[in-house]
Amino acid sequence: MVEKELIEECRNGDLHNFRKVVEKSTPLIFTVAFRILGDEDAARDIVQDTMVAVWQKLSKIKTAESYKTWVYRIAVNKCYDQLRMQKRQKEERIDEREWAVISNHLSEEGITELENRENARIISLLTNQLSPKQKTVFVLSELEGLDSDEIVRITGMAKSVVKANLYYARRNIGSLLQKYL
Amino acid sequence: MKMTQGNDRYDRMVKILKNSRPDLTHPEEIENEVIGRIQRHSQRSGRFSDFIESLFGWVYIGWVRRSLIGVSVVLVAIFVYQQAFIFRQVKNISKQIVITGNESSAVSSSVLDKRLTLYKMSARLSPAGEIRISESQLEELLDSYNDLQVKYKDLLRIIEGDPELKGYIENKLKEDKKYKPDI
Repeated sequence: MVEKELIEECRNGDLHNFRKVVEKSTPLIFTVAFRILGDEDAARDIVQDTMVAVWQKLSKIKTAESYKTWVYRIAVNKCYDQLRMQKRQKEERIDEREWAVISNHLSEEGITELENRENARIISLLTNQLSPKQKTVFVLSELEGLDSDEIVRITGMAKSVVKANLYYARRNIGSLLQKYL
Repeated sequence: MKMTQGNDRYDRMVKILKNSRPDLTHPEEIENEVIGRIQRHSQRSGRFSDFIESLFGWVYIGWVRRSLIGVSVVLVAIFVYQQAFIFRQVKNISKQIVITGNESSAVSSSVLDKRLTLYKMSARLSPAGEIRISESQLEELLDSYNDLQVKYKDLLRIIEGDPELKGYIENKLKEDKKYKPDI
């Protein structure tokens, strides 16, 4: 992750060093944005917006140690805003072939790695019926592997709200898997 | 049994998704775009902050400076609104003048024509085209002109009614013409 010294130098307005910060932060932001939005182009835009916001607010960051949580918060909030702006999609017509692809992956030996398009499609299929909050909490907890305290700091939700949203997300996705596979 | 199977599927699906980190192609494009946006933004905000600095640079206390900027913006907005309001009013008034002019010309265009002729004449008579006639003088001139015209018409009527007088006047005019020098 980004070093403390690098952040300190950027806080003094060093744009050259900020390029290194962008380079190191981009994979983290891109992954979380891609998983929440399920769209590569939208995720790239989120990375850009987030890094510009980071540069503008760099002086406000209290300690360089909290950089990761802080960047997560900016990126997740931007994704969350975008999710809220999009009207909740109606239940898509379920394509049996797409579920068959998921079924194949589940039945394969070992853990396969998905391509971007397939990855986005599967996340979209599984989380389509979730609310923006549920989707955000699901991605942060289950896919990013963050604990509930970190999610509280990132999203600003109460711990009980985080747990409730995660419960509903798990239940919803579990029932979808049970229904179609 | 079914529940356990469902949980297994869920866990396995989550594991697959967690393991599949999306590939980011050409990350340098994002870096360049971010740096470009920051530079463009700092250029724009630099110009603005220079302007603010030149106006309020003498105030060192942050909140006082912000308050002054706020008050200035409000004052400028009020000024612009006021100017727009005055401009609209002036425009309305000038429209009304045009309407009044048209109406009066429609009612008595002959009087206005006469006025204009007399006005032009007075201008021609004065040196270097200077107009030295007041409104009251113009009114006076017009009245005397009208009066003269009425008297002239009366005189013509009297002459027409008396053939002896008519002959006498015609002879007099012919004699006058003989002695009048050609100009």
